[in-house]
Amino acid sequence: MNKGVIDIPWSLLAAGYLLMIIPLLIFKYYKTGLVKPTLWALLRMTVQLLLVGLYLEYIFKWDNPYINLLWVLIMTIVASYTVVKRTGLKLKFFFWPSLLATFLSIVLIDYYFLGFIIGLKNIFTARYFIPITGMLLGNSLKNVIIALDSYFKRIYDETTSYRWQLADGATQEEALLPFISFALKRAFNPLIATTAIMGLISLPGMMTGQILGGSDPMIAVKYQIMILVVIFASTSLNVWLTILFTNKIAFDKWGNLKNDIFSKSQ
Amino acid sequence: MQEKIIEIRNLRVKFKDKVLYNGLNADIYKNEKVAIAGESGSGKSTLINVLLGFIPQFEGEITIDGKKLSPKYINEIRKITALVPQELNFSVFPTVKKLFFRPFEFKANKHLFPSQQEIKDIFDKFELDINLLNHSIKEISGGQKQRIVLASAVLLKKPILYLDEPTSALNTEIKNKITDYILGLKNTTVIASTHDEYFINNAQKVIKL
Repeated sequence: MNKGVIDIPWSLLAAGYLLMIIPLLIFKYYKTGLVKPTLWALLRMTVQLLLVGLYLEYIFKWDNPYINLLWVLIMTIVASYTVVKRTGLKLKFFFWPSLLATFLSIVLIDYYFLGFIIGLKNIFTARYFIPITGMLLGNSLKNVIIALDSYFKRIYDETTSYRWQLADGATQEEALLPFISFALKRAFNPLIATTAIMGLISLPGMMTGQILGGSDPMIAVKYQIMILVVIFASTSLNVWLTILFTNKIAFDKWGNLKNDIFSKSQ
Repeated sequence: MQEKIIEIRNLRVKFKDKVLYNGLNADIYKNEKVAIAGESGSGKSTLINVLLGFIPQFEGEITIDGKKLSPKYINEIRKITALVPQELNFSVFPTVKKLFFRPFEFKANKHLFPSQQEIKDIFDKFELDINLLNHSIKEISGGQKQRIVLASAVLLKKPILYLDEPTSALNTEIKNKITDYILGLKNTTVIASTHDEYFINNAQKVIKL
């Protein structure tokens, strides 16, 4: 079963955009103010993906481990930048810990999955290394943002609980435990829920893509299962390491949360 | 001669728009019951926060149990203290049980874990129903929360107990009963920031700000 995928001609790709008339009309009728942002998002999505398509063609053609690694490093930098920006924390304090955590979690999980499970001799093979890492980064991003955001905002909003524990003899690690637990619950409850209903309500994107590309459905399913496991593992590792590393810089030597870690006043 | 447990020398705390205490000196002796009194905004709660190392930008010198209040000794100092905060936002602890037992989970306090009888006795004294422990933190009132945290702090039996407006959410009858109990604690130095006349009149020392 290897029929290959049917290409979409450029003219029909353009015709596909006509479907967007439906949301745009709805948004306009109800005066949502969403028409402009939707058009802008659509334009960005199109340009970005076409560019990705262009340079991925070259990256796949060259298949040079160093270029592949550089490409992943750039993706990691963009991901860490996005995480810190979206959480309202100061880049100068949080960018490096976030980058280190993201890079370590990606490298470890990629190494295990591509090297051991898939059994690639060279884990930097562009065809596997780049899309898998891209999926890991893309899928863990949202959860890392939620975790980091709820973690620091909750410590700030509930300084009383944090200080109360310190005042009663907790070490800093002990006093932060309920906050880490809270942040993990916030970040992982949605992921647990979507993992549990996978295949019932939605067919995940990667599997659909593989089936469209001519793969045997069972092979596509096996990859999808592994990808979900790998996303879960790398997200949790990323969240945990990010919190661990940022703890080193977010508190003063008395154990107090520093006042100037937020880029916007809270 | 009585032994000092806290010495405050020339304390000043600068904030952006004001200076607090302007050279406060005070000695607090072991097991003394001290009220910190003063107008709103005079820095009663802030003083407790300074003594616990939560406001590091203070000037002057503070010694607690022979140790200088400094990053070097702050963990040692916090091992001999307990706090009942004024603000009672504890939503990070989902249940009353988690909140009540949390301090006994710390390495420094594990050996202080109270017996069933001790818990029952303190709940009776503070007019708390033992079944409250099974409730969610959102289901109980401010007054109940205050007494739960106070009960937990008392059972920790730490040498220094800081109370920040400890009876602010309680009605007069129970407030005076609990104040009597706190002022009668044998081996505890109690330092309370308070507006409450009954507490101030019955404390052994008043630091007026």
